[in-house]
Amino acid sequence: MSLLSPWGLAWLGLLVPLVLLYVLKRRRETKVVGSTLLWEQALRDLRAERPWRRLVPQVALLLQALAIAAGALALARPVGAGAVPSGAHVAVVVDVSASMAGRTRGERRIDRARALASSLVESLPPGGRMMLLEAGSEASVLAPLTSDASTLRRALGQLAVRGASADLEGAVALAAERLRGAPAGSHVLLLTDGAEDGEIALAAEVPVEVRRVVPEQDAPVVNTGIVAADCRPAPGDAADAADVFVRVAHVGDAPVDVFVTASIDGGPVVASRRLSVEPDGTASAVMRATFPPDEAGRAPIVRLQLSRAADEAGMDDDLDLDDVAVVPSPGRQRLPVFLVGDAPAPVLRVLQADPRLELFETTLARLARRGPDQPPLDGLFVYTGEVPDEPPAGDSIVIAPAADRVFELEVGAEVLAPRIVTWDEADPRLRFVSLGELQLISLRPLRGGGQRLVETDRGAAIVGIARPDGETTVLGFDPAASNWPRQASFVVFFRNLLQRARRRRDAGGIAPGTLGEPLRIPAPDGTPVVVTTPAGHRIEAVSRGGLAVVPVAAEPGVYRAKVAGRELHALRSLLDPGESDLRPRVRFSRAGAGGDTTLGVAEEHHEAWPWLAALLLLLLVAEIAWATRRPEAVPR
Amino acid sequence: MTSLLDPEFIRRLGRLRLHVQRRFAGAAGGARRSTRKGQSVEFADHRAYVPGDDIRRIDWNAYARLEELVLRLHVAEEDLSVHLLIDTSASMAGEKLDTARRIAAALAYVGLAGSERVGVAPFAESVGAPLPPTRGRRRIGAVLRYLDELRADGETSLARSVEALLARRPRPGLAIVLSDLLDPGGYERPLDRLQAAKHELVIFHVLSQEELAPKGGGDYALVDRERGVRVEVSLDEHALRAYHKRLGAFLSGVEGYARRRGAMYFRAGGEVSFEDAVLAYLRTGP
Repeated sequence: MSLLSPWGLAWLGLLVPLVLLYVLKRRRETKVVGSTLLWEQALRDLRAERPWRRLVPQVALLLQALAIAAGALALARPVGAGAVPSGAHVAVVVDVSASMAGRTRGERRIDRARALASSLVESLPPGGRMMLLEAGSEASVLAPLTSDASTLRRALGQLAVRGASADLEGAVALAAERLRGAPAGSHVLLLTDGAEDGEIALAAEVPVEVRRVVPEQDAPVVNTGIVAADCRPAPGDAADAADVFVRVAHVGDAPVDVFVTASIDGGPVVASRRLSVEPDGTASAVMRATFPPDEAGRAPIVRLQLSRAADEAGMDDDLDLDDVAVVPSPGRQRLPVFLVGDAPAPVLRVLQADPRLELFETTLARLARRGPDQPPLDGLFVYTGEVPDEPPAGDSIVIAPAADRVFELEVGAEVLAPRIVTWDEADPRLRFVSLGELQLISLRPLRGGGQRLVETDRGAAIVGIARPDGETTVLGFDPAASNWPRQASFVVFFRNLLQRARRRRDAGGIAPGTLGEPLRIPAPDGTPVVVTTPAGHRIEAVSRGGLAVVPVAAEPGVYRAKVAGRELHALRSLLDPGESDLRPRVRFSRAGAGGDTTLGVAEEHHEAWPWLAALLLLLLVAEIAWATRRPEAVPR
Repeated sequence: MTSLLDPEFIRRLGRLRLHVQRRFAGAAGGARRSTRKGQSVEFADHRAYVPGDDIRRIDWNAYARLEELVLRLHVAEEDLSVHLLIDTSASMAGEKLDTARRIAAALAYVGLAGSERVGVAPFAESVGAPLPPTRGRRRIGAVLRYLDELRADGETSLARSVEALLARRPRPGLAIVLSDLLDPGGYERPLDRLQAAKHELVIFHVLSQEELAPKGGGDYALVDRERGVRVEVSLDEHALRAYHKRLGAFLSGVEGYARRRGAMYFRAGGEVSFEDAVLAYLRTGP
């Protein structure tokens, strides 16, 4: 319990004049009697029989003192622990990981966190400011530091489960940075269910209070979910045959039998398996089925559903998000590759060696001649030398750009014999790629934005650019003018690019993302976009800056978007064992010096002043009733 | 005559006499039997004649029957000493002192009319200036004037008052105590002292209507007129019940004391007027 306006207690000073008034003012009618001997004895008897009667003569004083105390307390605005001290700033960080969609005692954890944050907003003292951040896969600020309750309420309305995991460390660090230099008493309040593995070091220059929205005693939880799924071509079998792999994890006290049903999204069931899963265990199944391409030639999407019984559609456990997963079927359609310009011979050989590619040679002029009525080219573009001013949507590779500017990059003047200094091994495009032996004859260094994948002592040699409508990898040199084609890493690099393009295409044309994150749909400026969610709800948006950002709820399944007659889709699944385990288990520690970390169980902070005000009124009524009571009958 | 007694009541008192249960030795011949053998007409006993006796008192009828000379002895009729002890402490102020004075006036009238010696001893913390015992119907005026001038003041100390009275060595007689007996020091030991000094005790317990039946309702600060003690009380049902319980115990305690000691007890005040109390006493006689 703390007081938002402790100066309100100064009103307790009214007790002094009240008592003085009672002392000085003779409220009782004085009556001189011959002797009070019998009255003294009678009152002694009375107090012995009913000790509380001793207080009766002071009832009016007591009631009035209580009324003053209740009023003073109400003005002091008492609230539960964790409230915002007067004049202080608080940054509320809400964990929006998938586990926050879990239910505890029937209430979703995210809703509990919202209620807690809302109670803080309502108890914001004068001078107090609050900001709201969500900790999803990335930390983001929903409301900046403000004392405007309506802004904060609107931001709270936007709170939703996003992403598979939460970057709690990053969010707290961001909050701490925003609170730098804040008044004393300012702190970061982290609302989380703690359903994370391992230990999280909360680096903060301001005190951090961690409040778990799920008390320890509310564990254990019961949840069964799909934690891994994939669909691969069946070896040596008929075309379109594929093996659907699924792994199910279970958290609970008793074993559980579940059915895993595989179906074509929007189509028939193609396979089903019954699995027995031990507590804290997993079970896997492989189901073979045929997934023929649809009429448009696209591979179908496989929908996996968990259920208690074969004919049911739900699990009735604590988390719904992991009961459904969608994965693309492998399909047999080749990835179209459009070669614009004369591709270097080593690059061409690599492309021709891949049986799952379909190569198309074209020119800038032919690309420019394509009208808006023609369906957009859906594949990978490989530009050599020249790049169109307005490149078509889709992933692309640019080799040895001729212009001084390509996409958002500046292409520098040619330098000779640059030396490879470093490369980004973590990027999937450079997976299993070693460039230690790479020697370039010449290079046009790449400057500007993008992700610098390969760095030389003269500038970036390879840069990745993420655009709304596609991903581009720019090589500032001609591979033919290097020793790279003679190295295995050359083939691996281009295979990685092809594999990435294929996966992105399989993903439906919408940038991959985590569950609950807004869909980023590439579309020309001003183009209306209509998204249909897995549950069938329609969401309309308009593209701005080449991208339509459509906020969606965390709902596993296929999101279909219609953009100017073209249909895109996005697949969203949880597939995260850590999030399916809803048990609070994370350990928090403090990193660095100067910060305090306290851990508590969440309590909703309702201000008590309305109750105190009601009590005050009741006391006043009681006091009036006491003061105006009728004399009692005299027993004879 | 005085406002203490009205003529009608005086007329009713005219045929009554003070009632005593024992005989007392008087100082002068009066209208009341004495423990001494005297010359009145009321026969007391016989005794053998010895030379020197008054031969007029020889019972010749007895000589005729017994052939022995015996003397007739007669009860001496002497005056009775009546001590009126009036509580004039502050607690008696008002209604109670008025009642006590009226009772005392009535008893003094009856006593003086019956040739008794009547003295008045007002007391509070001690005995004040008493009215010495006097006799004769003509003295009634002085007695009533004395009573009329009594004022209530001071604390009650029945014990000191009785000791002060006894120190004057009054003749044993009728000690009539008119008091509320609301003495923090108690009433039993002082009254015992009076009886031990051969006085016959009559208690007129004088209480006010307010003490016998207080009205309920309201918050009061009751101030003790004698001691200045302040008692804050809310006159609700519970408080009144507790008071009546205490009052009942007090009244029955005084009454029981009187019964045990063979004293006469009469209550006055409230619904019992002083006339009723006086007549109740005077009519207890033979």
